[in-house]
This record gives sequence, C-alpha cells and structure tokens, in this order.
Amino acid sequence: MDISNKKILVCDDSVLARKQLMDAVNEIATGATFIEGKNGAEAVEFYKKENPDIVFMDIVMPEKDGTDALAEIREYDNEATIIIVSSVGTQEQLKKAIKLGAKDFIQKPFEKSQIKEIIELRLGGK
Amino acid sequence: MFTQFLGNYLLQKGIVNQEQLFDAMSKLSQTHIKLGTIAISSGMMTANEVDECLYVQTRENKRFGEIAVNRGYLDDNQVKDLLSQQTPDYVLLGQILVDDGIITYEELERLIFDYKNDSELYDLSLDIENQEAVQTIINKFFDLSDLKMTPENAMYLELMFNSLIRFIGEDFTPLTPMVIDEFPITFGVSQAIVGDNEFITHIDCDREAAIAFASRYAKEDFTEFNEYTVAALEDFLNLHNGLYIVNVSNNTSADVYLEPPVVTEDGVLWGSDKCIVFPVAYPFGTIHLIICF
Repeated sequence: MDISNKKILVCDDSVLARKQLMDAVNEIATGATFIEGKNGAEAVEFYKKENPDIVFMDIVMPEKDGTDALAEIREYDNEATIIIVSSVGTQEQLKKAIKLGAKDFIQKPFEKSQIKEIIELRLGGK
Repeated sequence: MFTQFLGNYLLQKGIVNQEQLFDAMSKLSQTHIKLGTIAISSGMMTANEVDECLYVQTRENKRFGEIAVNRGYLDDNQVKDLLSQQTPDYVLLGQILVDDGIITYEELERLIFDYKNDSELYDLSLDIENQEAVQTIINKFFDLSDLKMTPENAMYLELMFNSLIRFIGEDFTPLTPMVIDEFPITFGVSQAIVGDNEFITHIDCDREAAIAFASRYAKEDFTEFNEYTVAALEDFLNLHNGLYIVNVSNNTSADVYLEPPVVTEDGVLWGSDKCIVFPVAYPFGTIHLIICF
C-alpha cells in the first residue's frame, strides 16, 4: 500500500513506543512521512504546523496529556483523525476519548493487525 | 505460575543453586512429563514404586504404565486418567531436577508434599492453576508482617507476576521480598499511581540487566544501553501499571490514574507506609521491583 502523500503524527513520550508504531506502519505501507511528538504540547504544536492526515496519541504523557491534546486539536480542527494508543484502556478513559472526538482507541500492547486496519480504513485503499 | 514459586522454595531450602535452577527452567519447554512423575504428584504411586517400575523398565522392554499395572500399583483406568492429565510446569521442573541427578524421586515426592503444605496449597489440583490458588500463594509469599495488604495491593502484586510472565518470560524466580522504610535508587524508572489508592512503583537494575530486560520486552536485540533500553523499562512499567488501572476500574469504584514514568538515577524512594522490595532473578540478572505504599 502506497501512502507517499500521507503525514502521520506519532505522539508518545516513549521513543521505543514511537519506533514500534512507525515500524508497524512501515510494514504495512510505504512512503509515509512521520512527525514525532513526545508530549501533548508538541502534539498540538506539530498538528497545527504540519496538518497531518492521522495522529496516533498516547494518553499518559508529561507536560500535557493525550486527552488534553486531543481536545485542543479537535477544537482547532474538528475533522482531525486522532487514534488513542494507550495502556490505560478503562471504560471511562475510552468513553472520554470518544466523547472528545477520538476516532478509535487501541490498548497497548497493540497488534500489528490493529494498526493495519486503521491505516487501511483511515488512509484509504488496500 | 507455581513454577516460579517452586524455584524460590528450592533456593530457600538450599536444594538447588541459582545456576542449577536456571538450567532446569531453560529445559521446561523441551521436556515432556513422565507418567511416573504424574503418578507421584497426584499421589497414585509412591516414589519407591516409581523407582521400582523404572528399574524393571531397564530390564524389560515395556512401557512404564504396563509395568505399573502388572505390579498392581495402577489399573488401566488410572493410567488413562494420568495420561490425560495436564500437569503444571512446577511438577515438570521437579522431574527435570530428577533427570539431572540433583534430586531423587523420593526427594521429589517429599518436595511436592512440603511445597504444597508450606504454601498452604492443600487442594492444589493437578490440571489447572486456578485463580484462588494463585492468590493464596501470592498472599503467603508476601505475608510480610510489617505491611498491611489490601485487596488492591494484592491485586497489584498478582498482576506483576502475570506481566513478567507475559512480557518478559516465565523463566524467572521470585527471590524473597523485603519490607523496608525507603529504597536508595541506583538506576531505574519510577511511576506514580495517584488517586484513591496512591503508591510509587519502580524498577531498579544494573545496565547489563536493563539491556537484556529491554530486549525481551521490545523483542529486539539491544546490545548497548541507550534511550531505547531505558524506554523499554518505562514502557513495561507503564503497561503493567496500565493493566492494574484497568483491573481496578473493572473491579472497584476507586479512581486511580498514572503519572508519566520518569528515569531516576539517584535519590531515595519512600511512601506513606512501607516499601516492598521484590527481587526477581532471571538468567540474565536480577531486577528489583519496588512498590512504596
């Protein structure tokens, strides 16, 4: 699958988690441009600057958490495609994320098939 | 999970040393349980009877079950029953020690009996590691008089065993936990759990152990200590604590949250009550898990 013209913002305070997610995308599709953020503040900043096609966002992050960043990005762009990727998959957290406009919620550790499904659905084509 | 606790028990009693234990644990996945071992652990045969049948087996070209039936120790139905039983790994570990010549069948018989008794696992069934038995052994293991063990804390510790098995590997031995007032940090990552039930969690280890731990967690072959190895420790702790939060949320009305994990290279950890230092020995080194309640 070719996604050469797509920008993906990966926001997680763990450099390993970002790498694993980007590796998973690269196994499924080629050509994506990645932007990396390591906290919620960077997520908002980079979203406004880069206007990515999709955002993968952790929740528990320093400075600004993923939920606050999600709310701010959706306020800026209510069409933003934001996928929450978190180890804290409580019902409450899930409801909150969906209410704030998250398109999906992936519980860590993620399966590559979950990332594949999201990429195919959100970035089009197979 | 009983395998890990049996490992601790064997070390405590001086029956094996760490090297012999790790060697035996590394053979678990390639070893098949023998009928004689199942017969001993289920109480259907004594060690002497098994030894006798094994001796006969060296002289007659017959199966162990056939010999046991011929000598009146088992009947055909019992052999069928034993063969269909799913034996837990801890019995298999005992068999490997017999095969390695470290203990005899007679010592294995006594060991299984003493282990069940000392761990208060009187009704430990052979075919399942049921939840109740796991909780019993964990409560017994962490029966530390200086610490008040709430159900949430017990749940945390139980999940810790599951997370180690699931994300790092089951070839570990829990060493005896200690209760202390504060823990001097050498290197590691910490994460605070805040809300209705607050405590600090921490993983402490040397750099070599951190590289190996990280490699297993990330399923990558890290060869040097770098930002990825540190991130793997943080991710493991964050993931494990996340699972705890999900469990608390599903089972209680308590609200608990995670703060981001932080790397800590010096300083002292303490809580409002006590800290548990829980060392876990893997073949690659020992990891210290610290929980300050």
